[in-house]
Order: sequence, then C-alpha cells, then structure tokens
Amino acid sequence: MFSYLYDNYAPALNAVIYKMVEDRALSEDILQEAFVKIWNNFTSYDKTKGRLFTWMLNLTRNLTIDTLRSKSYKKQTKISGDENIVSNIRDNSSGIEKFDSLGLVKQVANLKADQRQIIDLAYFNGFTQDEISKQLGIPLGTVKTKMRAAISELRKLIQFN
Amino acid sequence: MEIKNIISSGLLELYATGLASEQEAAQVLQWVQQYPEVADELAQIETAMAMYAQANSVQPSPHIKEKIFATINEDATVIPLKNPGKKDKAPIVSISTFWKNVAAASVVLLLGSAVLNFVQYNNNGTLGKKLAQNKELVNNLQDQAKLMEDNWRIVQSRYSQPVTVNGLPVSPEAQAKVFWMKNTGDVYVDPGNLPEAPKGKQYELWAIVDGVPVNAGIIITTKKGDQYSIQKMKGFGKVDAFAVSLEAESSKPAEKPDLVMAVGKM
Repeated sequence: MFSYLYDNYAPALNAVIYKMVEDRALSEDILQEAFVKIWNNFTSYDKTKGRLFTWMLNLTRNLTIDTLRSKSYKKQTKISGDENIVSNIRDNSSGIEKFDSLGLVKQVANLKADQRQIIDLAYFNGFTQDEISKQLGIPLGTVKTKMRAAISELRKLIQFN
Repeated sequence: MEIKNIISSGLLELYATGLASEQEAAQVLQWVQQYPEVADELAQIETAMAMYAQANSVQPSPHIKEKIFATINEDATVIPLKNPGKKDKAPIVSISTFWKNVAAASVVLLLGSAVLNFVQYNNNGTLGKKLAQNKELVNNLQDQAKLMEDNWRIVQSRYSQPVTVNGLPVSPEAQAKVFWMKNTGDVYVDPGNLPEAPKGKQYELWAIVDGVPVNAGIIITTKKGDQYSIQKMKGFGKVDAFAVSLEAESSKPAEKPDLVMAVGKM
C-alpha cells in the first residue's frame, strides 16, 4: 500500500527536489530520506489541514531546504534567469507517460511563462512571499493576487482542454 | 469576511503553495472549518497543484524504491507474538506498521478517487451518473478512512497498553488484541485474528479483576467488515488480565464465562 503511495507520488516529489538541487543523485538521496520520513511521520498527517499530497510536498520541501543548508549548499543565484525554471518542464519526459493521455502536460505547457514562474518559485523552489517579491520585482502585496491569477489560469487549463 | 471575498483574497492559493505565514495559515484553517465552500475551493486548488506537480514528474531510478523499502522494513520492530518462556509479562505486539499501511492506503484511495472524479469529468463533460457514483465511492472511502483513523488513534495512543490475548490449548489459533487506555481505563478489542464464531455462538470479552472475571461485552466477529474493526468494550480502571470466551448466542452478555478460549495478562 505504501508502494502505491510511492509509485504515484515519488515522481512528482522527485521533481520538486530536483528543481531545488539540480543534481540527480542528490535529489534521489533526499527523495529516499523524504519517503522514510513520510512513513515514520504518518501519524502527524492531519487531513483537516489539507491534502495528503500537500503534506508530503511540504515535508519533502522542508527536508530539501534543510539538506541544502546543512550541506552548506548555497541557494544558487541561477534562479535569477527564468529560463531554468521554464525549461525544466520540458526536460522531464520520463515520468509523465501516465498523464499524457489526459494531455495534462500539454495543458500545463500553455500556462504563460510569468504565471508558471510565480507558481514554480513558491511551489517547487520553496521561496517565501518576500523572496518572490524581490525576485520578480513586484510589491509584496501583489504576490497574493498574482498567485491567485496564475493558479486560476492553471485550473482553467486543466479543466477545459 | 464574506465567503466570496475569502475565495478571491488569494490566501487559499498562498496556503496551497506553501507561502502562507503561520498567521495566514491559521486563518485559512479556521475558514476551512467554518465554511464548506471554502474547504471545497481549497480542495480544488490543491488538486490542481497536485496535478501540476504530476505534470512535472521526474521519474526516480528504479533502485530507489527498493532502498526505501529496505530501510522501512529494518525500522519496523516486531516483537514475537508468542513468548512462552516468560510468564510475568504479556506478549506485546507491535502492529503499528499494519495500521499505518491501512490508513495510508485509505487516504491514498481517497485522493486517488478525487483525481479519478476529475479525470472522468474531463473525459465526458456530461455525466451526472458517473459523478454520483464517484461521490458515493468517495463517501464510502471517507467512512473507511475515518474508521481506520479512529482505529489507528487507539493503537497509536501513548496511553494505549496493548495486550495480546493468546489462544489456550482448546483453541490455539484464537487470538485477539486488547488495548487498555492507561489514562481513562477504556478498553478496545481488535478481533481481527479470532476465527469466525461457530453458528449459534458468540465471543465475549472478560476482564479479570482481583481474580474474578467480569464481562466486558460481546465481540462482534460475524458481520463481514466489522471483524477488522476495533470495538469499544466496557472500561475498567484496574485489570489483571483479559480473556475471550465462547458463549451461546444471546443479546445479553453472560454472567460467567462458559468456554474460555484465550487469555492475556497485563
């Protein structure tokens, strides 16, 4: 049963880690640690606080951030060029066969680059609101509205193919 | 705040992407509890985000899965069920791994069916019937998940003292687990390993208090499905041992045990 959990979510969680560390081997080490942690901490998952995947993602993201810090990896400035963030979506053809039939990848690819960027900075890179505002050169107060607009667009793309 | 203003505030999106501050997160959780519409909106945002993550998948190397499972299995400590050498202590069983699995599976099924709903919605457009079926499925899974979570809570509670009630020579295969809550004296029984009661018979649980068996209630094993569910029995502040007996079928618990099948000391 845990196997099912792994099969369904490991590729997505691995994507998050990979986007943050950009190193395949390290990413898989962290993935491994994350799943052991998910297993050991399953009791602390509280479904009233949101979806299981969100919980797993937060746990994984925090672990990745901790690992990067503890190993004195610096949060690399490479994020400044948005081509990295944008290009990642096309790099990863391997894990997505299952969803090809839904056209999910194609639908998501229609998201505007700046909308994808703000989602990715938060969701995949673990940036704070403050960091996003600096990164994108937008006022702190508009992060919320831009994020909402981006996710609303994403939802439309997924729903109306 | 009005519901439509909450939904358009953007805070739900911040929460779902991990951007919300502690204060904002607390606010969102309060709304979610208070307004079903908000809970529904957040669920939809989270589903969209989960699908977005799926669309970005990076398949890990195949050997990673094996390594993870090897680690998990090493960590799982299982104390043997039978402990014939020592009489002073009741054998204690670690079954948390099992319940963790069960709970994990039900939550996954729940999430999976939500995605399925969504996928089917996409594929057809008009399908009230299918949607209704799926809703029913989700409801059933939610009930199951709730049940599993309740069971799990009992098993995992730090006050829970598990007692394995082992089969006597008359019925070596009869085994049940009793959970006695140290703080409240509540008693729960997991009859998962009891064989189905013979026709016209039923199992009853007994607490041995100061050497005297006191009936703790009828254990349901006949209805399929219920068998695996932990049942709450009569509570006791002080217990020396638990026993399971086989009694003639009756809606009233017996006053004295007829045929004791299994015993477990605290």
